[in-house]
Amino acid sequence: MTLHEMSISAIQKALGTGELSAGEIARQTLDAITRINPQLNAWTAITAERMLAEAENIDTLRREKRPLPPLAGIPYAVKNLFDVAGHTTLAGAELFSQRPAAAADSFAVRQLRSAGGLLSGMVNMDAYAYGFTTENSHYGATHNPHDLKRIAGGSSGGSAAAVAAGLVHFSLGTDTNGSIRVPASLCGIYGLKPTFGRLSRSGSHPFVASLDHIGPFARRVSDLASVYDALQGRDSSDSFQADSSREQTRPLLDRGLDGLRCAVLGGYFSTWCDADARAAVARVAKALDAHDELLFPDAELARSAAFIISASEGGNQYLPALRSKPARFEPHSRERLLAGAMIPSAWYIQAQRFRAHARQAFKTLFSHTDVLIAPATPRSATLIGEQTMEINGQPLPVRASMGMLTQPISFLGLPVTTVPLRTAHGAPIGLQLIAAPFNEQACLRVARVLEACGITDARPAEIAQ
Amino acid sequence: MNTTPPDWNAYLAQMESVLGVELDDARRAELQLQFSRIASMAAPLMALPLDDRQEIAGVYKA
Repeated sequence: MTLHEMSISAIQKALGTGELSAGEIARQTLDAITRINPQLNAWTAITAERMLAEAENIDTLRREKRPLPPLAGIPYAVKNLFDVAGHTTLAGAELFSQRPAAAADSFAVRQLRSAGGLLSGMVNMDAYAYGFTTENSHYGATHNPHDLKRIAGGSSGGSAAAVAAGLVHFSLGTDTNGSIRVPASLCGIYGLKPTFGRLSRSGSHPFVASLDHIGPFARRVSDLASVYDALQGRDSSDSFQADSSREQTRPLLDRGLDGLRCAVLGGYFSTWCDADARAAVARVAKALDAHDELLFPDAELARSAAFIISASEGGNQYLPALRSKPARFEPHSRERLLAGAMIPSAWYIQAQRFRAHARQAFKTLFSHTDVLIAPATPRSATLIGEQTMEINGQPLPVRASMGMLTQPISFLGLPVTTVPLRTAHGAPIGLQLIAAPFNEQACLRVARVLEACGITDARPAEIAQ
Repeated sequence: MNTTPPDWNAYLAQMESVLGVELDDARRAELQLQFSRIASMAAPLMALPLDDRQEIAGVYKA
């Protein structure tokens, strides 16, 4: 059995019995990344020395017959906006490439290190996390492992491609407007965007403080839940972290649908997608006995408000550099950021007040259902370089519109698990399973039900070497 | 209520000065395009009546 065919719990067992060592896992992973990454362009830095040292720590625990932490020996990668001690945090931007190395790991990386994970390196993204395609002018486009001519999605495209190619068991991304859910959909894997404020973001490069989330990608729901469980923890340095208690979701996965009601989120979400996405929703709705369709009439306004908040906060953050070093900016984003910096304050404040209003309005849907089903992307992956896509009879810009179905949901801050299906032509396409605030366990349980009945498909891509 | 369409190019020229940004014509044209997209999104949002006690959003309470 190869590494990528083993779940986290299977690797834990193999480490316990001595069938595998963490050192072997690290060496196999590094070898596979060296062979495959040139075709993907997912990794922007490989942390071989650190990975081998982390593996040696795990093997020392094994030799001494001490208990192993929950992610012992599990290889992973992080989006290159997470601080990793000794490495420059790029946030996908040439602008930051000469900055000093981070002095310490981000909170999330510290959590994973203490859980025994093996960090393989940092992965590519849209510059500043502002985009949905990971077509990065400076670091290059990341290729979709299932079809190398196509985009991986973004902005956490490297994180999704690394997992979808079977090179690591999980990865970390961030999601402001869809940057976990879009690449999870296009690369055919599971992704979790937790409730806004659930996980600490400290030590990650911010884009839009009001909307930024962090979360994991994986090829199995149990792995996704295990990583999410390890990431939780109180961190007083993130002032946006909610005062919620930790929840351990992994032990709850086998409860199935017991007590959970599912419904389809229609209207805007079934209008702005193609027939493949609608077919995927219908298949999942049938499997889950989800007969009701619920509506969020303000979805389009929510997307607009998310856009205004993102443009305004992102534009303000980069304004000093837009003044002093404009030539060093990603050309796809520079004037978009500058336009955001010039937004009248009345628009921004209206968007923030509307956000509170929309949260209250959406909350009423959860008196009828526990989990809502909606497409994660309007369609499957477009070709690298493709500028427009036709959806609902209208030509839309790919770079801005691939996240049009995720933006209204992250605006509300609701937890979402993305589940991978395939179109009739075999292309990956993902759906959002949306739950009420702090009810991550509900969308993870529904994802596990779909995985168990074979509706979802997160098999790794086979890439010729 | 004033219903005269705003002159966004004049507004952006003022903002260039207010924020101390130097642009060439090509960048200014792209800025105008990007800003016009945001303005079209802002119009329906600004037209939405919100309760005068509606505060901005915070983090969720568990």
